[in-house]
Amino acid sequence: MITTTRFLPAQIYRPRSLLVGTVFGCAAAFMFFLSVVAVYVRERARARHEAMEWFAEGTVELGPSGFVFWTLVLSVFTVQWAVQAINAEDRVNAYVALALTTLFGVAIFNQLWFIINDTGFALAASNAEFLFFVINGTFIVFLIAAVLFITFTFVRALAGQFGPKRAEAVSAAALFWHTVVLMWAVVYFLVYINK
Amino acid sequence: MTMTDSATATGTLPSDPESLVSPTSAASAASAPSVSFESPVASEVGGVFDALTTTDHKRIGRLWLRSSLLMLLAVAVVGVLLRIEDINSSPDDIFAGTNNYFQFFGLYRLGMVLLVVLPLFVGLATVVVPMQVGATNIAFPRAAHGAAWLFMIGAGITVVAVLAGGGWGALDGVSPSEADAIALTLVGTALLIGAIVVASVCVATTVVSLRTPGMNLLRVPLFAWSMLVAAAVWLLTLPLALGNLVLIYFDLRGGPGEFGNIEGSDAVFAQLGWLIEQPQIYALAIPVLGVFGQVAAVVAKRRHAQHAAAMALIGFFGLLSVGGWSQPWFQGDSHDEQFVFVVFGLSVALPVLGSVAAVAATFARPGADAAAALEPSLASLERTKKLNLAGLLSVHGLAAFAAVLVLLAATVAGLVRVVQPWDLGGRTTVTAVMNLVWFAALLAGIAGIWFWAPKIAGVLLPGGLGRSAIFNIALGAVLLGGADFVSGFFGAGALAYQYSAASVSLVSVPSNENLVEVMNACAAVGALLIVLGVLAVVAAWLKPQGNTETLSDNPFGGLTLEWATPSPPPLGNFLDAPARVVSEVPLLDSVNDTEEDS
Repeated sequence: MITTTRFLPAQIYRPRSLLVGTVFGCAAAFMFFLSVVAVYVRERARARHEAMEWFAEGTVELGPSGFVFWTLVLSVFTVQWAVQAINAEDRVNAYVALALTTLFGVAIFNQLWFIINDTGFALAASNAEFLFFVINGTFIVFLIAAVLFITFTFVRALAGQFGPKRAEAVSAAALFWHTVVLMWAVVYFLVYINK
Repeated sequence: MTMTDSATATGTLPSDPESLVSPTSAASAASAPSVSFESPVASEVGGVFDALTTTDHKRIGRLWLRSSLLMLLAVAVVGVLLRIEDINSSPDDIFAGTNNYFQFFGLYRLGMVLLVVLPLFVGLATVVVPMQVGATNIAFPRAAHGAAWLFMIGAGITVVAVLAGGGWGALDGVSPSEADAIALTLVGTALLIGAIVVASVCVATTVVSLRTPGMNLLRVPLFAWSMLVAAAVWLLTLPLALGNLVLIYFDLRGGPGEFGNIEGSDAVFAQLGWLIEQPQIYALAIPVLGVFGQVAAVVAKRRHAQHAAAMALIGFFGLLSVGGWSQPWFQGDSHDEQFVFVVFGLSVALPVLGSVAAVAATFARPGADAAAALEPSLASLERTKKLNLAGLLSVHGLAAFAAVLVLLAATVAGLVRVVQPWDLGGRTTVTAVMNLVWFAALLAGIAGIWFWAPKIAGVLLPGGLGRSAIFNIALGAVLLGGADFVSGFFGAGALAYQYSAASVSLVSVPSNENLVEVMNACAAVGALLIVLGVLAVVAAWLKPQGNTETLSDNPFGGLTLEWATPSPPPLGNFLDAPARVVSEVPLLDSVNDTEEDS
């Protein structure tokens, strides 16, 4: 007769659950963002079909949005630098990389604020201006979330957390950051380049 | 090393699983636990404080289940009132005005999805899935708990906003306060969707990353697999509805009036209508196939004959239920003619039929590897290949089979609905499909609640009330769905489409008005039966049978890991770390392996 002689809790077993959860969360966030962008594309196609003007000439400039894009491209490297540094137990480099990424995030927020003010758009003026606000506003919300995620990870790293085999949270933050960069790539192409 | 240690190390379970997992066994009682657990029963004493602070997935799941059952009762009553109103084709008798009618119409339809069916499955999954995959808790328990409360807050806001004159649009114009209430309804709806998305992330992550050693994806129990597929589909599609709501809300609060037009229009509700229509409506029913496959195998007392094929069919069904692309902003009213829409509609019955065939193969399978090892009395049953009538007539058995049959009827109705020459797109045929899917999902939810009640609440639920609930809900679903299906063929318009064409008249004049009136009366009877069924479910939930002291850990002969936990399961679920899993039925194969070893 086999009997139980010990009562122990089942082993706590969490292989990369934060990273997996972030993948699911990123997928949901990206679908949310795409749904708004898709409505933008559809409305613009309808306006073109009816030979209506979408944005007034000179209102949406390519230059500042390009700055945002290239800053985000730069931040892709810094955030991966952080992941690599944590995995290599190089904490100083990890701190610098995470701080730079946070700084880039704040800079992008500043640039977006400038872009939105620079257009002089009004929410109720037209479908084009309304959707411009909603898309950029939605992106800003995700950007703020990404900056908070990176900052939180930075603070935890400063407190001595993470290491070569415990870099999951940094990888998860980096993944969310990449998703936000991808969102802007979509916006940059569909809203700013392909006006 | 004890024998248990040895068994665990070699990846096997002892021949008598009760001796391993039962907290009441003499051997277990004799050995005092070195790590003290919070008593599952005693932990209930915490009440509100526990409900506010818990991170135990079973309590979180119960929050979802209780909320969804409460909402089910309210929404079902609204459904009856709407159906009675429909009998004489006037919106003024019960609801005193078109706007009121429209508000409750929206509450019923979106409520069945967002307040009832989705949270019901989320709750069931939150309780059961971690145990099925051998985990001690759900992934991100605090997020899961937050999602449950977000859901309750969202549900409260939505219902209160509708009662305050809100809803998803207004047909007769709105006052400023009603416009505010509509905006509040949108906020409540967004919270509901957000809560379900967060909970889906927790469930999906649990299945992907918290599986016990040896349990690869092909060995995941069918219900857990169906919840992974469902969560993936929900995560890819529900955010689209959230995007719709954001655009509508901000348009309503100062936009150009193109997206959130609520004045004399059903545009807001019609935009969200893709959530309750083909193909997206089938996303609600993905877990039905999981519950069916799992319960049927237990009822048959056999290993599922086609586990891998059943998983593939569930995945295929999930693929065919992705429907965010069909929303009006993307497709206008023309999606009925789209190739993809027609192909999805024609194909969706196939995975359901396939799942039924797989279960039929299970019942026909010789019992060489059946559960006789768990219950010696079953050995003769296996040899004679007789049906396990007691199992088939159990509440979970009946409910699972009723659910899949109603779902099959829904997919067949959906198949007929996409046949272009009949042009049934704007008719009540659409309503028939949605009703059948809702109640198939509800029946599957009931099957799950009765089946896993020992793990959900540490009780067995009464069979009489359960059978009464199944009979009433299944018959009600057939009456509702059948009546709408027939009416659709005679030209009765689905209301959601009718008033968008002419807000003055709510119901079109069908070609055979008398027959449609008879059908509407049948539908009202069906809705009433469903309320009776729901009352039976609530009564059973409030007054379960048996007590925790005498409840077996595995009363139905289940073969998956949740049945290796005590009833009710303690914090951490398992008294000992689950043995290494070697197949999709870990209890059965572990037992056999142990016997072979000995």
